[in-house]
Amino acid sequence: MLRALSGTTRLILLLLTLLLSVVFLLPKQTRSVLQALGQPIAAVVFFPIEAWTALEQSAIGLWQDYAALRHVHEDNRQLRRDLELLQRQNSDLRESAVAALRLAALLEFKEQFTPQTVAARVVGRDSTNWYSGVILNKGDRDGIRPEMGVMTSAGIVGRVVKTNPFSSIVLLVTDPHNAITGIIQRSRDEGIVEGTAQGRARIKYLPLLANIRPGDIVVTSGLTGGFPRGIVIGTVLTMQKEEGELFQSAEIVPQADLSKLEEVLVITVPRSLDADPEAKGK
Amino acid sequence: MKQALYASLILGLIPLQVTGLNYVGIAGIRPDLTLIATFLIGFLGGEIEGLLMGILLGCVQDLFSAGSLWINLITKAMIGILAGLLGRHLANATPVTVCTFLFVLSVLSGSTAAVWLRVEDNFLGVPHMIQSVVLPQALFDAALGTVIYWLMPGRRRRESEFGEDLALFGR
Repeated sequence: MLRALSGTTRLILLLLTLLLSVVFLLPKQTRSVLQALGQPIAAVVFFPIEAWTALEQSAIGLWQDYAALRHVHEDNRQLRRDLELLQRQNSDLRESAVAALRLAALLEFKEQFTPQTVAARVVGRDSTNWYSGVILNKGDRDGIRPEMGVMTSAGIVGRVVKTNPFSSIVLLVTDPHNAITGIIQRSRDEGIVEGTAQGRARIKYLPLLANIRPGDIVVTSGLTGGFPRGIVIGTVLTMQKEEGELFQSAEIVPQADLSKLEEVLVITVPRSLDADPEAKGK
Repeated sequence: MKQALYASLILGLIPLQVTGLNYVGIAGIRPDLTLIATFLIGFLGGEIEGLLMGILLGCVQDLFSAGSLWINLITKAMIGILAGLLGRHLANATPVTVCTFLFVLSVLSGSTAAVWLRVEDNFLGVPHMIQSVVLPQALFDAALGTVIYWLMPGRRRRESEFGEDLALFGR
């Protein structure tokens, strides 16, 4: 087959095949070189992605505005009822907050949950079918680095795995290759949260005697680099306790709706500067 | 003209893949536009064009994927070369043959990726990956690729050349 090709063509084929062989045989060693070489291309390709997303968002916004107008009266009544309920809850929470502050001062509890974050918009999904990931419109230039945690107001979304100048790729918490340390909020049992092939998450390596119930909240333990302690990961759906196993596990439904992500927060500094002297030095 | 087309493919395909295709996916599986484009470029333009475009499109795809192994760069280059060789040696290309080859190459590329990801990145089991990702995507790729090939003006030119060749031989 190759005899039909000219000498130059054969040489090009040979060189490219050699290059591909190096990438194939040494994938981990070549990744940083390829990543650096690809940065300018990624920067150029990102602009059509952002333009497409802006177009998509404005079309969706137009439709939603139209749909919202049709139900505005009913929504207004519902919102008023919700507001009354929230005002009552707010009052209760203020009481609790005052009590918590008093107790924290009493215990000299200095660590505060005030992570520094950067807001970013989700502009696309992973370009392959192999990973559950999303693309954000903030990258290296906005201070985003690999391994940083990503969350919404509802809970954990995932962690940054790759960055380009203007964009970054986030591996979702439901991807089987993601692992975050979590604890059961009620019982304080610790485990590892991983994604499942079914698009949910599972907390593994929980002690056999751990007291876990469906509906328990799982939060971050603060031991994984990019996340502070206490951010909601999800709710326990079912438990699995195999005979002869040393640990038990539980299936979790993520708190954040990962199929409808629009805006997220990237945690750039997981702990407050007061609580982390190392971060303060930087 | 061809360079402009290739440049627009490099700039436009991945944005379409990561945004617009989210609406056409079934159970989270979407067709791979870069694979279809690489196949058609290699099939109609030859192995060198297929290889180069496979490398470029695969590279851009890997830049916007959570994977870190540059697997698309390898598999798309492989698709480009194989499609070029097929195109060179196939006398009469019809949409049916294009559909078949695209399906086979998509399965081959996906299976290579599944095995590699299993070995290097401790991915889930290969049979599970083939069943849940590779085969559905290959069906998608074959169907969409055949439709695009059917609509391409180059295909008509190629078939008419083939018809002229046959006429020269008095068939």
